[in-house]
Amino acid sequence: MSRTNHRVSDGLVDRSKTLKFNWNGKSLHGHPGDTLASALLANGHKLVARSFKYHRPRGIFSAGSEEPNAMVQLRRGAAQEPNTRATVTEIFDGLEATSQNHLGFLEWDLMAANDLLTPFLSAGFYYKTFMWPKTFWEKIYEPMIRASAGLGRLSMDPDPDVYDHGYLHCQLLIVGAGPAGLAAALEAGHAGLRVILADEDFMPGGRLNSETYEVEGLRGSDWAAATFDELAAMDNVRLMTRTTVHGAFDHGIYGALERKTDHLSTSGGKPRQVLWRIYTQRSLLTTGATERSIAFGNNDRPGIMLSGAVRSYANRFGVAAGKKVTVFTNNDDGWQTARDLLALKVEVAAVVDTRTASSQVIDGVRCIFGRTITNTKGRKGLSSIRLDDGSRIQTDCLAVAGGWSPNVHLTCHQRGRPVWRGDIAGFVPGDELPAGQFVAGAANGTMTLAGALREGHDNAMQIAEELGKGKSGTSAPAATDENFSITPFWHVQSSKARAWIDLQNDVTTKDVKQSHAEGFHSVEHLKRYTTLGMATDQGKTANVLGLAVMAEFSDKTIPETGTTIFRPPYSPVAIGAFAGRARGKAFRPYRLTPSHNWAVENGAAFVETGMWLRAQWFARPGEKGWRDSVDREVQMTRASVGICDVTTLGKIDIQGRDAAEFLNRIYANAFLKLPVGKVRYGLMLREDGICYDDGTTARFSETHFVMTTTTANAVTVFRNMEFARQCLWPDLDVHLISTTDGWAQFAVAGPNSRPLLEKIVDNIDLSNEEFPFMACAKITVCGGTPSRLFRISFSGELAYEIAVPARYGDALIRALIEAGEEFNVVPYGTEALGVMRIEKGHAAGNELTGQTSAAQLGLGMMVSKKKDSIGSRASEREGMNQDDDMRLVGFHPADKTVQLNAGAHFLTKGDPEDMTHDQGWMTSVAYSPELGHSVGLGFLKRGKDRMGEVVRAFDPVRGKDTDVMVTSTHHIDPEGERQRG
Amino acid sequence: MAEYQLTPMPVLGTQSVRIGKNSIQPRPDLATVSVATPLGGKRTLESALKENLSINFPAATQTTHSGDYRAIRMTSDHILLVFTRATPDAESHIQGKLNGAGYSTDQTDTLAIIEISGPDVLAAMERLCPLDLHPEAFCVGASGRTVMEHMGATIIKTADQTYHLITASSSAGSFMHAVEASFQYTISA
Repeated sequence: MSRTNHRVSDGLVDRSKTLKFNWNGKSLHGHPGDTLASALLANGHKLVARSFKYHRPRGIFSAGSEEPNAMVQLRRGAAQEPNTRATVTEIFDGLEATSQNHLGFLEWDLMAANDLLTPFLSAGFYYKTFMWPKTFWEKIYEPMIRASAGLGRLSMDPDPDVYDHGYLHCQLLIVGAGPAGLAAALEAGHAGLRVILADEDFMPGGRLNSETYEVEGLRGSDWAAATFDELAAMDNVRLMTRTTVHGAFDHGIYGALERKTDHLSTSGGKPRQVLWRIYTQRSLLTTGATERSIAFGNNDRPGIMLSGAVRSYANRFGVAAGKKVTVFTNNDDGWQTARDLLALKVEVAAVVDTRTASSQVIDGVRCIFGRTITNTKGRKGLSSIRLDDGSRIQTDCLAVAGGWSPNVHLTCHQRGRPVWRGDIAGFVPGDELPAGQFVAGAANGTMTLAGALREGHDNAMQIAEELGKGKSGTSAPAATDENFSITPFWHVQSSKARAWIDLQNDVTTKDVKQSHAEGFHSVEHLKRYTTLGMATDQGKTANVLGLAVMAEFSDKTIPETGTTIFRPPYSPVAIGAFAGRARGKAFRPYRLTPSHNWAVENGAAFVETGMWLRAQWFARPGEKGWRDSVDREVQMTRASVGICDVTTLGKIDIQGRDAAEFLNRIYANAFLKLPVGKVRYGLMLREDGICYDDGTTARFSETHFVMTTTTANAVTVFRNMEFARQCLWPDLDVHLISTTDGWAQFAVAGPNSRPLLEKIVDNIDLSNEEFPFMACAKITVCGGTPSRLFRISFSGELAYEIAVPARYGDALIRALIEAGEEFNVVPYGTEALGVMRIEKGHAAGNELTGQTSAAQLGLGMMVSKKKDSIGSRASEREGMNQDDDMRLVGFHPADKTVQLNAGAHFLTKGDPEDMTHDQGWMTSVAYSPELGHSVGLGFLKRGKDRMGEVVRAFDPVRGKDTDVMVTSTHHIDPEGERQRG
Repeated sequence: MAEYQLTPMPVLGTQSVRIGKNSIQPRPDLATVSVATPLGGKRTLESALKENLSINFPAATQTTHSGDYRAIRMTSDHILLVFTRATPDAESHIQGKLNGAGYSTDQTDTLAIIEISGPDVLAAMERLCPLDLHPEAFCVGASGRTVMEHMGATIIKTADQTYHLITASSSAGSFMHAVEASFQYTISA
């Protein structure tokens, strides 16, 4: 059949231009304004897909986003996208589309054998089969199911397209640019509201583009185009076509997906789709209604379509869906299809109306009342239908008009329940709408054109008044109310053949009946058992029909049967769109220290600590692995001097007359009398008495402190302190601000740290007498650059931390390294830092897990009994102060040649390996290049009483069982002579 | 006296980026100092700001400015002063003006400022900024604190089609990338 045979008019497509596209390897032509579905129909392709389960031949069923059948695969290679609806896909020059879900050719699908296995593939068959023999599951059943499951196929290559997110704000969001939406936008726009009008179609107008009705004396589609132009000229109205509002969320926020470049052959590097978050003061849903089918025997053949869709293809796209069309209807609207087709000189074989009479009789057309269709014929395309009186009608297209279901989805996304309206045989929005939401037009059950226009206009007027805008003075666009009368008819019970309800999931009336017979009486159970209403179309054409049929089987009314819960998204959203631009290196932000560039130049390996990138170690030529680098860094630091970037530690500037009192309440240990020019180690407890962070705080004046926190807890500590400041003790004069990023800070550690720093600092005596352990000062370095110097040590060595404004960090690290050349200075990373703190016995993240107390950490004496502080009372609870509790201890392997791994559990020698006899666990382990063997820290029951005892370190995960000797946590310099030296 | 000299290196450099007709310009020439109000000392601080810097204490979501100084309201008892200063003594400079009327902390190195301007600036910000920047809702002089691409940020409208974005300096590279991407994704040519 040639292409031109199916074009019956220009419709709204641009016939002056021709677009070339590819379908299953064949080159076809269409026009701007065509969808893939309309172009395929125009080219005579009725069979376009295979059904999900039975692989039945399927054709185009609808003309919109509700399409259950015509799922296709678009593009090739990495950009390939499966399960795309041909009915909403705009064609463009070079579009490549293929059918999916078939083995072999579309016309000769080998998987169609499934259709012969129907008795074995009924609803829930997979719950009852594949049980025997057991061994078949992994080797045969599961691979087989996996191979046949799904519809399209992903390329398995990374998606080459770009996606983005965005934020929009408006006073009124209008969802749907049909007659009600356009009328509302006109009124709201003229009233001066900031309006967003969004529509999923690329052509605004909604059903006006598919109908022949007039508005304001113009053909509906012409009025829609003129109105759209008028709106486009308004600064306060934003028009968003190709935009699906897919969800209604809290506080007037809506989610919307805008397809930016899907209709273009190339995106030009721009985002293909943008996922918008739209903040609204009011919203107006003018989302229209979706037509549904009638269940009768073999109602799924290519050529059997929704009546409104047949009209859309004829009026909008100028395509006749068949040469000889029959209409099957239970309402007046179906007759309009016959009238429109006749006007375009398409032959109408008959109109079959389930009602006994109607005023819609058309002269010259065979009108059959009170009859139903029981079966159809035509394997790859409809050829005839049979009526319940046994007569047969030759026809290649059947337009089924089962009534229209208002699109209430967005009214229900916050658990609203729609209510049944018998006069239109459809669910309409209930009373519990999301805050600020209004509904108008067919979505509200107002099924006639004039009514929709009026309701859209009036709602906008009310919203404008609510938002303080006056009336615009415009009146609702004029139109005539068409006939809309329906007598519900759902299911031809006399049909012996299978009657489909949900085309996408191959759910038939028998499946619904079986589900009910097996005890799945809730509509939610029906959905899960039969898969009715699942997948890409979410049952838009099937749900109401399905629950109506269920109501029939269960002798309930439709309202009693109810609906399933509506959840976002309204229609599919690509995972890529949800991800937006957060891919690859942009997956999340990185925080870089001021010495980052220098570290890169010097061969640093980096580790992510939160969002920070920290130098982990600095490899040198000849080193065979990270251990070589780390051992060298530790040895050189302890032998002479090493430098580590510690900028990432949280820094909080604390000022105020009551700053000392505030800190005294925050820390478990005393801070009230910390002298100016001194630093103190501090321990923070949660309200429950558990330790959650530690660090040091320096006092620079009576009213000025600088706190250092761990890198990981910088935000948590600041937040907790701000809470305490604002909510617990608002009467204290204290202010906090983070300065973490403001200072580049370096630890300079080792016996030569002092002489090295003496080459950097200006006019300060760093001798032990003038600047002793735990001293601090504001100084200048390198001829006047402001700096802060702290004499603190995490390594156990004579050490300092020196800070300069971050902009000087790069210069300072270079100056320190240059100045340290004579001392053989070494930069060290977080691994060497970790080794040295384990050697010294400092608790860190592995020990401060949020589950350990001060007593367990051996810091119980730090919790002052002379004052109140957060968590101090709770830390005195009996359960947290038992003598047989865990205590932090050190250990090393009894056989010092053995390497240890953290995580092993301690067992008393001779005890069985079970949890009853668990004595604790290793938290941190490192190889100590200083000592030449592994050392570690861990929690051991009655640990402080077991020094020198040999216990087992049992590690079932790695299959190791090692004897370790319990020691002090201080593996090196237990008296602290080095750091005080 | 030390033999070394330290040369500052602004976290985003100094070079501007042009995308279409728009400009993205790091502003390392601007210093930032936070000033907190001592308990019970709001009036004293307001007077000090007025007398010594000729600026009013800004209202919530607003900024005030006079000459080279701009004050941004951050919280009920905390403002941020932005002004031109190249040397690393912004805090002592401000404290010299306030004479103890407020608690001041230098934030010049904590924060990075990016000036964006051009005809596509609103379209670009729609992809990045959750706040409503419509001229009716966010006029010249307005400020807002928000999160952009998971990074905390303050936005100030300094002129028509011109905004200052203030963000943490450690993640400023990622922030700059996000700003550039927002322009690249939105400009038409």
